[in-house]
Amino acid sequence: MPEAKEFVTPNRPTWCPGCGNYAMFTALRKAYERLDLDFEHLAGVWGIGCHGNGADFTRCQGFHALHGRALPAATGLALSNPELTVVVEMGDGDGYGIGMGHFAHSCRRNIDLTVVAHNNQIYGLTTGQASPTTEHLMKTVSTPTGVLEEPVNTVGLAIAEGATFVARGFSGDIEHLTDLVVQAVQHKGFALVDVFQPCVTWNKLNTTQWFRDRVYKLEEAGYDPSDKVKAFELTLTTYHEMTCTPEDCRIPIGVLYREEGRPTYQDGLPQLTAPLWKQAKGPRDISALIERA
Amino acid sequence: MLPDPRGADRPDIQIKIGGQAGFGIKAAGQSLARCFVNGGLHTFDLTEYPSLIRGGHNVYQVRVSPTPIHSHVEPVDILVALNQESLDLHLGEVVEGGALVYDPKSVTIDGVDTSHVCAVAVPFDEIVATAGGVPIMRNVAALGAVLGLSRYPLSFLTDSLKQQFAKKAPEIAEQNVAVASAGYEYGANAKCSFPFRLDPLPDPPHRILVDGNEAIGMGALAAGLGMYCAYPMTPASSLLSFMAAHDREFGVVVKHTEDEIAAMNMVVGAAFGGARAMCATAGGGFALMVEAFGLAGVSESAVVVGLFTRPGPATGMPTYTEQSDLRFALHAAQGEFPRVVLAPGDTTQAFELTWQAFNLADRLQTPVIILGDTYLQDNRRSTEPFDLGAVTVDRGKLIAEGDTASRLEALGDDDLYLRYKVTDDGVSWRALPGVKGACQVVNSYEHDEYGYGAQGESAAVRLAQNEKRGRKLDLARSLVPPPVLFGAPPDKAALSVLCFGTVKQPLMQAVEWLARDGVRVAAMQVVTLWPFPTEDVATFLGTSKRTIVVEGNMTGQLEGLIRQECLLGVDEHVHRYDGRQFSPEDLYRGLKEVADRA
Repeated sequence: MPEAKEFVTPNRPTWCPGCGNYAMFTALRKAYERLDLDFEHLAGVWGIGCHGNGADFTRCQGFHALHGRALPAATGLALSNPELTVVVEMGDGDGYGIGMGHFAHSCRRNIDLTVVAHNNQIYGLTTGQASPTTEHLMKTVSTPTGVLEEPVNTVGLAIAEGATFVARGFSGDIEHLTDLVVQAVQHKGFALVDVFQPCVTWNKLNTTQWFRDRVYKLEEAGYDPSDKVKAFELTLTTYHEMTCTPEDCRIPIGVLYREEGRPTYQDGLPQLTAPLWKQAKGPRDISALIERA
Repeated sequence: MLPDPRGADRPDIQIKIGGQAGFGIKAAGQSLARCFVNGGLHTFDLTEYPSLIRGGHNVYQVRVSPTPIHSHVEPVDILVALNQESLDLHLGEVVEGGALVYDPKSVTIDGVDTSHVCAVAVPFDEIVATAGGVPIMRNVAALGAVLGLSRYPLSFLTDSLKQQFAKKAPEIAEQNVAVASAGYEYGANAKCSFPFRLDPLPDPPHRILVDGNEAIGMGALAAGLGMYCAYPMTPASSLLSFMAAHDREFGVVVKHTEDEIAAMNMVVGAAFGGARAMCATAGGGFALMVEAFGLAGVSESAVVVGLFTRPGPATGMPTYTEQSDLRFALHAAQGEFPRVVLAPGDTTQAFELTWQAFNLADRLQTPVIILGDTYLQDNRRSTEPFDLGAVTVDRGKLIAEGDTASRLEALGDDDLYLRYKVTDDGVSWRALPGVKGACQVVNSYEHDEYGYGAQGESAAVRLAQNEKRGRKLDLARSLVPPPVLFGAPPDKAALSVLCFGTVKQPLMQAVEWLARDGVRVAAMQVVTLWPFPTEDVATFLGTSKRTIVVEGNMTGQLEGLIRQECLLGVDEHVHRYDGRQFSPEDLYRGLKEVADRA
C-alpha cells in the first residue's frame, strides 16, 4: 500500500507560507498510510475554498464539488459504491455557512463517511470576510464594525444532530490530528474532525500561538467521550471571547463524542451490496412490474 | 352548446366524479378506469384538484372508448356528484341525454334545471349502512351505478374489489361487493333513458394503465437506474413515491433529500461513482438544482433530470399544467455546456425517452433533461405494454473495472489516465473509482485533461476543454430522437401545426376529427428540444402551406426557438396559459377556423 508521501500529484501546494492547510495535508496523508488505503478506493471530496485546492494535490479519486455542496456529492458517491472510503474536506464558510443544511442532515443521517473541516474562522479565498465561525465582534472586511453573530458551535451542532463521531483537531499538532483522522475513518457512521487551522493572512486573532496557548488534549484529561450529554456540555464551554486569556479559555482537542454500534445510513439499505454501476450492465427486467401495471 | 366534434355516432363516453377532498375521488376514478381497461377498452384520465373556486373540491374524469383515444374531452356524459359543489360546478358540462348520479340526502336538485339529463338518485349512505360498511364506500356505490347505467358488467368491479381486499379483510370485500351490487341496480334500473352503452371485448388484450411519473419510473428502472434522489414537489412527487416503493425489489438506492440542491449534487456524486443516477422536480425545485446542473456540465457527469412544469413563477399553481419552462430547461446554469432536452408527449414516449435519456447521458457524459408537465405526470392513460425488448443499455466510453492501462486511448503521452482527454467527438474515457490507474479529479472548476484545476485557468487549456465539451453537441445531434410527424404530409395539408410535449395528445385528437371532416392537417411534435432539430423543422415549415405553433405558455417559447434556430417565422400561434391543458375541442375549433380562412 502507498506511503504517505505517495498520496500526492505533480501539483505543488500553493497555500500561503505558514497556512494550516499544509499540516492538515500532511496529517491526512499519514492517516491514509496508516489506514492502508490505496489510490483507487480512497475518494476525496472537496468543497470550495483554500482547502479545496487540496483536490489538485492529493492522489486519489478526487471530486472537487461546489461551494458548500461537498457533503451531498460525497453522499451520492458513497452510496453509489460501498467499496470506497470517502473523505470530505470542507471549509468553515463552505461547510458551516452555505452548506450548513447539508451538514446537519448528514449528521442525523449517520452516513458512513468522514468529514475533515478546515476551520480557520475566516474566508481566505475571497480575501478575509467573516465566516460562520468567526468570533463575535471580530472585525473583518465584510464586518468592519465587528461580527454581530455568535460563531457556530460546530462540534455541538454535530452532536446535537446525531453525528456518532465528533472530534476536534489542531493543525499545530500533526501527530494528534493524524490519530484523529485514523479514528474517524475507522468509525462506522458519520465522523467529523473539526480542525482549528489558523489563516496566517486574514485571521490575525486566532493564530497558531493563540491556539497553542489554549488547547489541551481530552485523552490526557481523563475524558470519557461516550457520554453524549457531557460531550454536548463540553462543546458549550469551548466558545471563547476574543479577549479571553489562555488561563480563562481552555480549548479541548481530541475525541469529544463517540457512539459505537448505531446503524449507519448504509446499514438501512440492504439492496446496497455492490457498486451500483453493476445494476446497469444491461437492461433490467421489469416485466413483473409491467404485468401489474 | 357547440356541436360535439366527436360526432353523433361516437363510441366514447366521459365520466366525471366530483366530491370533497378526502372522499377518495382519485382512487375511485382509478378503479373505474381499471374496470374498463380490464375489459379491453381504452381510457384517458384527467384529474383536477383542488377546486376552481374554493379548496377541497376534487374531480376525476375518465374518458373511455372501444377505439383508441388520445386525450380528455370537454363534455361529460355521466356526472357523479358526491357533493353539492360538484353538481353546481359541473352540471353544465353534461351533454344532452347524459346522466347525473347523486344522493338526494347530500345533493339537492331542487331549483336546478336538470331537464337535459337523466337524474339518477342513488342513496349512497343508505346502501353503505345496509351493507354495514364505512362512509368511504359511497364511492363504490357510485361506481356501481355508473357501470349499471352504461350496462357494463359489474363483475369487473366486484372482481377487483375481491382481489383488493381478499387477503387483508374478506369481510370488507363482501361489504364492498354488496355496496357495488346495490349501486349497480340503481343505475341499471334508472327510470330515464341513458343511451350510451359500454361493452367489454370478448378477449381483452393486456393493456397497462399508468401516468407519466409511473412511465418515467419504469423507463429509468428498465435502463438500470442505480440511484434516484428527489425532494417532493408536485407534479414530480409521485415519481419519488414510485421509486421508493420499488427500491429494494430492483436494487435501487432512493433518497428523499433535504432539498433539491442536495438531490442534484447527490446525483452528480453517484454518477461519478458509476451509478445511473436521476433526480426529478418541478420548475421551482429545478431552480435550486441549477448550480449543480452546471456542475454536471463542467464535470461531464452522466445524469438524467426530470423537469416537470407546473404554472410558475415561484410556487405558482402547484396542481395545474403549463409549458412555460422550455427556455428555463434550455438555458439553466451559468456558463456554456452541451445538454439534451427531451419532451415526451405521452406515457409511451415518456417510457422510451427515459431509457434513451440514460444512454444519451452516458454516451455524451453530459446532463439530459426530460421535460414533462402536470398533464403528463398526473394523468393515467391506457396503453399497450411498454416494449421492454427495445430497451438497450449503452454506457458509452466507460471503464467500469480493470486497469486504465488496458485502454490506451484513455491515456496521455505520459501513459497516465486522462479523465478529460481532448478527443474529436469531445467525449473522454470515463474510469470509475476503483479502476486501477484511475487517479483523477472530477472538477467543478475548469480543469486540464487530468482534471486538475490549477492548470484550468490557462487560456489554452480553457479553450481546449470548453471546445471539447462543446463538440459533444455535434455528437448529440446524431444520437437524439427526431421529431414525430402525424396527420397529413405537410405539402398535402391545408395547415401545418408544430408543438412539443403533451400538446401532442389533444392535438392528435383534433387532427383526427379534422381529417374526418375533410380538413387535412399536418402536425409535428418536436421531441428533442435541444439540440434543436433545425433541418427537420425548416423542411417541415418549407413544405407547409400555412403554419401554426400551439404551445402551453404565454410568450411563445417554442415559436421563438424556431425563429432563432431556423431563421423562419410561422403564420399563426395559439397559446394557453391558464393552468389548463388545451382541450381537443379548443384545437379542433381553432384550427378549423384558421384552415377556413386560408
